Amino acid sequence: MVAIGPHDVPPSHRTPVELRHHADWFLLLLKIRARSTLSNKTVVSELDIPSSRTDTSFIPRLRTYVQHLGSYSIDFTLETGKMFIFLAQTLRAVPTPPWRWHNLLKQIHFIGMRSMFVIALTSIFAGMVLALQGFYTLSRFGSEALLGPAVALSMIRELGPVLSGLMITGRAGSAVAAELGIMRIREQIDALEVMGVPPIHFLAVPRFLAGLIVLPLLTVIFDVIGIFGGYLVAVQLLGLSAGTYFGGIESAVSMHDIHTGLIKAFCFGMIITWVCSFKGFFAKRGAEGVSHATTSAVVLASVLILVSDYFITAIML
Amino acid sequence: MSTPSQPSTVITAPGHNHGPLGQRLLAAGYINEQQLNEALAAQSTVDPNEINHLIGRTLVSLGHLTPSLLRQALVELFTEECRNDCGLSGVPPILSMKGVEKQLDGRMVLNGVDLEIPEHRITAIIGISGGGKSVTLKHLVGLMRPDRGTIMVKGKNLYALSVAELQRVRRHISLLFQGGALFDSLNVFDNIAFPLRETTQTSEAEIHQRVMRALDEVNLAGMEYKFPDELSGGMNKRAALARALITRPEIILLDEPTAGLDPIIENAIHHLICDTFMRTRTTMVIISHAIPAIFNWCHHVIVLHRGKVRASGSTPAIRESQDPVIRQFIDGDVDGPVDIL
Repeated sequence: MVAIGPHDVPPSHRTPVELRHHADWFLLLLKIRARSTLSNKTVVSELDIPSSRTDTSFIPRLRTYVQHLGSYSIDFTLETGKMFIFLAQTLRAVPTPPWRWHNLLKQIHFIGMRSMFVIALTSIFAGMVLALQGFYTLSRFGSEALLGPAVALSMIRELGPVLSGLMITGRAGSAVAAELGIMRIREQIDALEVMGVPPIHFLAVPRFLAGLIVLPLLTVIFDVIGIFGGYLVAVQLLGLSAGTYFGGIESAVSMHDIHTGLIKAFCFGMIITWVCSFKGFFAKRGAEGVSHATTSAVVLASVLILVSDYFITAIML
Repeated sequence: MSTPSQPSTVITAPGHNHGPLGQRLLAAGYINEQQLNEALAAQSTVDPNEINHLIGRTLVSLGHLTPSLLRQALVELFTEECRNDCGLSGVPPILSMKGVEKQLDGRMVLNGVDLEIPEHRITAIIGISGGGKSVTLKHLVGLMRPDRGTIMVKGKNLYALSVAELQRVRRHISLLFQGGALFDSLNVFDNIAFPLRETTQTSEAEIHQRVMRALDEVNLAGMEYKFPDELSGGMNKRAALARALITRPEIILLDEPTAGLDPIIENAIHHLICDTFMRTRTTMVIISHAIPAIFNWCHHVIVLHRGKVRASGSTPAIRESQDPVIRQFIDGDVDGPVDIL
């Protein structure tokens, strides 16, 4: 004897009572799915319903996808809102005394001075490869004399601020997120609040200001060393005259180009310290949470740098 | 863990401002009248609470009393006070929670908590892990916002205050975190000095004096230039306690001050809390799993269970309670009404 359940009868042969019974099964399944954290397969096996039938059921799956989509949308909106509230609180705290000069200098030293080596190394090689590629391309058109302006404009307008921003994100931004994240999970940020010391004022503001001050300065250093790197390749290696290389730069680069680069650097400084401080500030769930906060801070800051670079360029052109 | 001995009768000495500790020491025969008068002559303060504290230290420094006898006398005094202090209904609450509910990650952690913390008393909050004790403490200092209910601190609704007012109220409260929460980038001295430097106008000379005194009180003299990662767990706790006490707050909240410590350090921390209380009469709230030891160190006990206050009352009343949940928790039975998984 084979037991016949409600699923084994073709729909056309079912009586109204059987159809109601089938609907009851479906409603029960939906209720259990909504209430249970168990996987669909487990619930189904508990109810002794063939899993192949329910797994292919379209409506519950669609419902799950919609739920996930809604959940992600809500999380994204909440996170974005929290980030902008954090930025507003930081900006509001900037002009509020007491001014902690010592903390600010410490952060300038950490973000700026201690990033000098990586900035110098990156910039010299960026300038060198730019000169190498530029010479190869320009020589096809007999325009080697434009190599100096090409390197300088690329550095000043684009590569200087963007690469400095990305390097500082990797070196200092990750450290800021990790440091604040550890402070959060070790309850040191809570301790500040309990002592009546506003954590945003004490922790976020010095880092934020240091980012605004340091990034333009590092960008200038990046530009100068990058142009020098280009000079090494173009003049010392490829035989272009120093006068040709530097003379073109002076006539091609305007103050507007320099302003554009510095404005970008200023914005990137804000993005890095804002995003990394925020991610560290709201890290959760132990070491894994700090690791996640650090990774997401670096990724988000890097993406925002590249996205905002396009829009700033479009506006400043 | 040493259990405080039974208190003997206190001899009152009319006309002499010996303070309760002086009387206790005389009554117990630890010192004689002449030694006490000699110590009193060396005191400059007339504040009874200060005398209570300083007289002991002076007697120790004069060689009339050993530190262990002083601790014993303080504990006896405190135990006697706790034993006689059964009428908590007359003590005004300095902190209170009414109908507080809090849901975290879909779980109801606080489910209508009503409690009152009496002023100038030590209150212990006990309960099984995950019962909402630390969350309660975080609500009392405004680190968490309740989903429902009110929290009153010194007669003010904590969540009706502006940010500036909340910060002002918080300056009267100190919280000793379970992990200490010392700042890793600062040494012990700077950690303890931190609240004074950030929230007061105290001069550096006075800060130095107060920090060194606080370090001495928690037996960390000579450790001021060590960083938190160079200290043991017990030292970290004591340094954090010194930081919590340095601003002379009106309320001190201690989240498991003895968790993870060996019995000697645990006892030392309890003595320190007792000593601080006897000296300053600060309202203290202690979360503890040190059962039954904690019953020797508090006036008032609140039992939290499943997000609600299961019982609240004087220490003897809770200790003798026949409520099966409280009995299981006190006796540490595996079998009983409390789910341990």
